[in-house]
Amino acid sequence: MERDTKATCPFVEDSFSRFSSQSNIYGLCQAGDQELLAATLKGKVVCFKYQDFRQKIRPVAKEVQFTYIPVDAEIVSIDSFNKSPPNRGLVVGITFIKDSGDKASPFLNIYCDYEPGSEFNLESIAQSCLNLELQFTPFQLYHTEVQCADGYIETVFLLSGHDQRIHLYKENASLHQFEEHPVERLFPELQELPSNVLWLDVLGLPGGRRFSAFGCQNGCVGLALVEQTGPEILQTWRLQQDSPISTVLLFPLDIRLEPEPHPSADRNRKSESYNLLVTSTLEVAVVYRDVLACGMSQPVCFHESDQYDSVLCALVTDLDFDGHREILLGTYGQELLCYKFQQSDRGQGLWSEGHFQLLWRRSFKSPLLSITYLDLTGDGLRELAILTLKGLHILQHSLSWTADLVFDCLTKSLPLHGEPATQAASAQNSEECFDKARDCRDPERKEQDLIGH
Amino acid sequence: MRSLSYVQRVGLDFSGTLFPHAICLGDADNDSLNELVVGDTSGKLLVYKNDDCKPWITRSCVGMLTCVGVGDICNKGKNFVVAVGAEGWFHLFDLTSTATSKSETSSQQEALFWDDQKPCFTQHIPANTKVILISDIDGDGRSELVVGYTDRVVRAFRWEEPPDSTDLSSGQLVLLKKWLLEGQVDSLSVNPGPEGVPELMVSQPGCGYAILLCSWTQEGAAASGEGTPATPGGESPSRDVILHLTTGRIHNKNVSTHLIGSISRGSKDESSKCGLFALCTLDGTLKLMDSSEQLLWSVQVDHQLFALQKLDVTGDGREEVVACAWDGQTYIIDHNRMVVRFQFDENVNAFCAGQYACKDGRNSPCLIYVSFNHKIYVYWRVELERMEPTNLLRVLEERPGYRDLLERLGVDPDDTAAVRELVRDVLYGDPPPRST
Repeated sequence: MERDTKATCPFVEDSFSRFSSQSNIYGLCQAGDQELLAATLKGKVVCFKYQDFRQKIRPVAKEVQFTYIPVDAEIVSIDSFNKSPPNRGLVVGITFIKDSGDKASPFLNIYCDYEPGSEFNLESIAQSCLNLELQFTPFQLYHTEVQCADGYIETVFLLSGHDQRIHLYKENASLHQFEEHPVERLFPELQELPSNVLWLDVLGLPGGRRFSAFGCQNGCVGLALVEQTGPEILQTWRLQQDSPISTVLLFPLDIRLEPEPHPSADRNRKSESYNLLVTSTLEVAVVYRDVLACGMSQPVCFHESDQYDSVLCALVTDLDFDGHREILLGTYGQELLCYKFQQSDRGQGLWSEGHFQLLWRRSFKSPLLSITYLDLTGDGLRELAILTLKGLHILQHSLSWTADLVFDCLTKSLPLHGEPATQAASAQNSEECFDKARDCRDPERKEQDLIGH
Repeated sequence: MRSLSYVQRVGLDFSGTLFPHAICLGDADNDSLNELVVGDTSGKLLVYKNDDCKPWITRSCVGMLTCVGVGDICNKGKNFVVAVGAEGWFHLFDLTSTATSKSETSSQQEALFWDDQKPCFTQHIPANTKVILISDIDGDGRSELVVGYTDRVVRAFRWEEPPDSTDLSSGQLVLLKKWLLEGQVDSLSVNPGPEGVPELMVSQPGCGYAILLCSWTQEGAAASGEGTPATPGGESPSRDVILHLTTGRIHNKNVSTHLIGSISRGSKDESSKCGLFALCTLDGTLKLMDSSEQLLWSVQVDHQLFALQKLDVTGDGREEVVACAWDGQTYIIDHNRMVVRFQFDENVNAFCAGQYACKDGRNSPCLIYVSFNHKIYVYWRVELERMEPTNLLRVLEERPGYRDLLERLGVDPDDTAAVRELVRDVLYGDPPPRST
């Protein structure tokens, strides 16, 4: 059934923090630049970070005492964001259900400190709470940026619930509090939903448009292209799968049109498309390619992704620094799967032929619930944080390998003999190093990339 | 404290029960790859090879096996497997021939096969054995067998045979010396002394240890001779036993203590002759000392440590100390007191760590746990890049020419934020991902 491991996982585990009770797929979020918050069922929130200590770093997992979470509460979801500029401050949202025996009452607590100087101080944020009672069982707590009527950008919470609706919470700056707003005013695509939404993802496109995707308990996947000013729905797609949707994830993926012996010659023919990854609890994971052009008509399946029980979490990012993104799937069957898009040789047109190939897989000791990729150690290199049923694993890139790569790229980005770099010089660069070296040397190109993203 | 979760493991079938010293790793068949040797309380000796969950070889011995060992006990340049029972039966097995002939002789008669299964040598030695050591304890370049007993006695034996003998049947174990100790002996080990000569060390209760002098040698006799004026006890056997009690918080003087010596320091240049050894107690004290009695570190944990091993998990030639508790909590500690923890999720019957050829036909560091559920678990991927958590910038700092390179790129090497930005650009070439 399963072939031999093609390659081994390039990550090494740096630490594992065991939690006192289990977590769930909504239980992990990044808080600030270099910290993680993980929520466990029994009402405890753990803050994980690397602490500088006598010229060394060490992993620290510490419980944060968020106020107004009763002892008998069970946490459902947690999310956090930095306020969009010009506002400053960290906002943490926690949903929980207080079960006092006769009636379970759900709440959303939003933590945010307005005191100048402590807007980013987690300890003091945890003490200033806005407590909202909910009329529905909460699911995923998500945040995204929206363009408000008067033109400025603001970050809002979106909370899905078992009432087949998505609720929007927006800050009222003058009153220093968050209020529920009708979702249809800012997100017209998120009304009249077919079922309970289990996972939601929003991706902003250049030019003021956005994609919104959601996956439902009844297997329905919805996708909408929206013009943010207005807002106005440009196009919507719906699709029915056969099992509850665990994750939907929108991501850009660049593909080289033709594999070239001299990649430098054809750099600009690289094109980027938007794709939608859908993982469901029973079926194989699917990527709908180039949704902007094709909608949901171009599915590509992930072979063997249903062999390890349900896929519960996913991440798309470039893990091997070759400029192409890989797709990570975390399964209930305790496996982490890494896929990469392989263009087939015959393919001439965009996306014409190709498939996602399993590069490697790695086993864990318990089911994988959530994945995130962030720089915890403060060195510019990101780490993979994986929440499992038993705790939090931090996987680090092999540092000697990465140091070799960085050293190589930096050396190659040096002007030769004091002269400015020339195209001839860059042609000598190894292919693996080319992208990076060029990015360092050529800020203009980098800016283009930034806009592209 | 840094903790890890090892995942890659193999479960070997083992239905018996065993004594904690009846498990060891060694090259039993002289193919340069290590096997796992286990002896159970019904007298069965099992040898496991690679990741096969069934034993490669099973042999029957007399009595309850309390300790097993692999080593060149006969000084013939090849390893034998030793199994010693509580009743004092010493068994010697030569598994080298088995490795080559096993496949060829599969059609042989049952009688011959049975004959093949018998030990190639047995001898009765004093009963109540507890722990054995096969090593050169007197510095003559030849291995001796040291046996620790439950009645606080340690005996050393040497294999002797007529010079013209062809097989093992004409040889025998000859008693060299008997030492009587004050407390229970839980471990035997050899450690280079302050002058670099090997010393036989045994653990003593309460985080203590004793050095046993080999008085049949010139130096041993001289040392015990010197000891005479200081201990005017006349013919007391304790002259040959030098007891050391380590200081520190020892709550219980009688607490069971384990010891392991000759912990490799790695690089040759810091060539202190003193050997490194480690001690652990059932109440959670761990110590690393050298033979000049200098304490390198001490760690207190709240788990009941019952097994102590050494293992080079980082591949740098320096061996880390590995201690295991009854509840599965395992500590790996390097010479600088960096601790890595691993929780094995079951209670542990016996523990051992070392090089074992589990996968890919090569030796690799392994942690081996005998559970109470008829399984032996071999964790075969336990290597670490480093013991200490670190980040990319610190690794880069160690590269020669790195600071120079940064300066030529116009980045101040001491400006962490700028360097971080540079590294991020090199690796990702895009802004941080949208936070989701």
